[in-house]
Amino acid sequence: MPSPHPYEANQSIKLSALRARLSLPQRFPLQTLARTLVHPSADPDPAFNNASLSILGGNLLSYYTSEHLLCNYPRLPIEVVFAATEAYVGPRALAIVASEWGIEAAAEPGGEVEPGLLQFKRLKPGEGIPAALRKQVPWKWNVTQTHRIVATDEFGSRNAPPTPQSLANVPVPMEEAAQSFVRALVGSLHLHLGAPLVKRFFKSHFLSRHLEISDMFDFRTPTRDLSRLCAREGFEAPVARLISETGRLSRHPVFVVGIYSGKDKLGEGAGASLEEARFRAAAASLKAWYLYRPLDVTVPSSMEGELDTTKWKPNMIDCGEVIV
Amino acid sequence: MSTCKSAARISTAVRPPPSLLPRTQIRHESTTRRHKKLLTVQQAPSYAPTRPEPTLIFNPPSSAPSAYHTPLKFLPANDKRRALYASFLSTSTARAHATATSPVAAPGTPLSTNSLLPPRPSASLPPPLRQPYEKKYHLTDVEIKEIQRLRKEDPERWTRVRLAEKFGCSQFFVGMVAKNEEKAAKVSREHERSRARWGERRREARHERERRKELWGRDA
Repeated sequence: MPSPHPYEANQSIKLSALRARLSLPQRFPLQTLARTLVHPSADPDPAFNNASLSILGGNLLSYYTSEHLLCNYPRLPIEVVFAATEAYVGPRALAIVASEWGIEAAAEPGGEVEPGLLQFKRLKPGEGIPAALRKQVPWKWNVTQTHRIVATDEFGSRNAPPTPQSLANVPVPMEEAAQSFVRALVGSLHLHLGAPLVKRFFKSHFLSRHLEISDMFDFRTPTRDLSRLCAREGFEAPVARLISETGRLSRHPVFVVGIYSGKDKLGEGAGASLEEARFRAAAASLKAWYLYRPLDVTVPSSMEGELDTTKWKPNMIDCGEVIV
Repeated sequence: MSTCKSAARISTAVRPPPSLLPRTQIRHESTTRRHKKLLTVQQAPSYAPTRPEPTLIFNPPSSAPSAYHTPLKFLPANDKRRALYASFLSTSTARAHATATSPVAAPGTPLSTNSLLPPRPSASLPPPLRQPYEKKYHLTDVEIKEIQRLRKEDPERWTRVRLAEKFGCSQFFVGMVAKNEEKAAKVSREHERSRARWGERRREARHERERRKELWGRDA
């Protein structure tokens, strides 16, 4: 037997402890929890490994994450949306979540192994990365931004990730197995306990992880972008104004520059030179534009199965980022 | 009550013409006591509660504004925060104008300069870094042809700077309408040659400066 018998799951202390640790109700069966811990590399049989569950869970995770980002930050540039999605539910983030839940891996998969351990075929040290895990052929040879938005996965990746079933009997790193477990757990929760509980689970385990979206920007020409933005939105042209300064002729001067459009201040930045302060102030103004959050947001998934549609408020849709 | 004199009175650069009037005693500000008195800065207004009962004091240290704080201009038309911001702005301005200034910081005294006190709110904006200008769009096709001809004939004489001065446009515009690839390549070769003469320290310093500059747009 490549993986433990489902019967053994009921006797497993580790699985009960894991279910209690994640505050899952008793009606979530331990057999399913045991199945989510079996990676296709340990057991190629699709009826006993977590491949199908992880596909379902991955789709749910990306749906809830992207609706959260798009509804709460309607003006985010698409690159930042991709990066933020990856930071919330990317493979590495999921592997970290699994290790925070206390998931331990079995040294070698097999039928006699304790079912509460993560089972996958380990990549031996010194062994090269197997072909299935190496960079796949691109989705399309000419990967444009539009194609990345419309046709690729939720992270906008340039190469297709390996499908779970293609990893059958292939040695994989622990990160791959751990992320497939987290996805499969979300998928099985959806099947056994329903969408409302999955949404609560997602909120408490994934959205609660702090992500500083304001640090994910990388502006190259913020002053140009900002004047394009002001022209597009019909504001007065931005003007950099010196709010305060100290030590202009010293070794460490500090200038505080604000960007004004008409009488309104858009952003403020401090720097050791006038140019730096102006650049930073323009970047801060652009961030102030992109990081706009509407006050009350109803995400689409919150209306699933609701009969009373009066609670629904249409979300803001922005016309898009500044293109220079 | 105030013993402070205006700066014009302190300065002794211009001596008044000798007069026949009897000399009177002049009190200069050059005593320790008066100088110390000048430095007495008035309490920040938010630390002076207006009511006798205990109140909440909110006086955060000056720091860079949060990027999540959307300015009024960037809010969509139907956002509730627009009304809130507008009402806050009007009340805070009215309050600041109503707060009495300390007599030592009254206008006409050395303390009224804003180097020691936080600036009082006023309708005037801070000075611009560069003077804002209106785009003129005044060059016609004939002049653009002329720019191109001059640049093509003698790129050494008619540089971007000289053409911009002559036609009253920006250097960027000259580069846009009359691009001279050979001259650009030549200049970049010259720069390359002079860069090759740099020592290790200068090269590293320039490299570090470029890397720091990349960070401006990333961690701002």
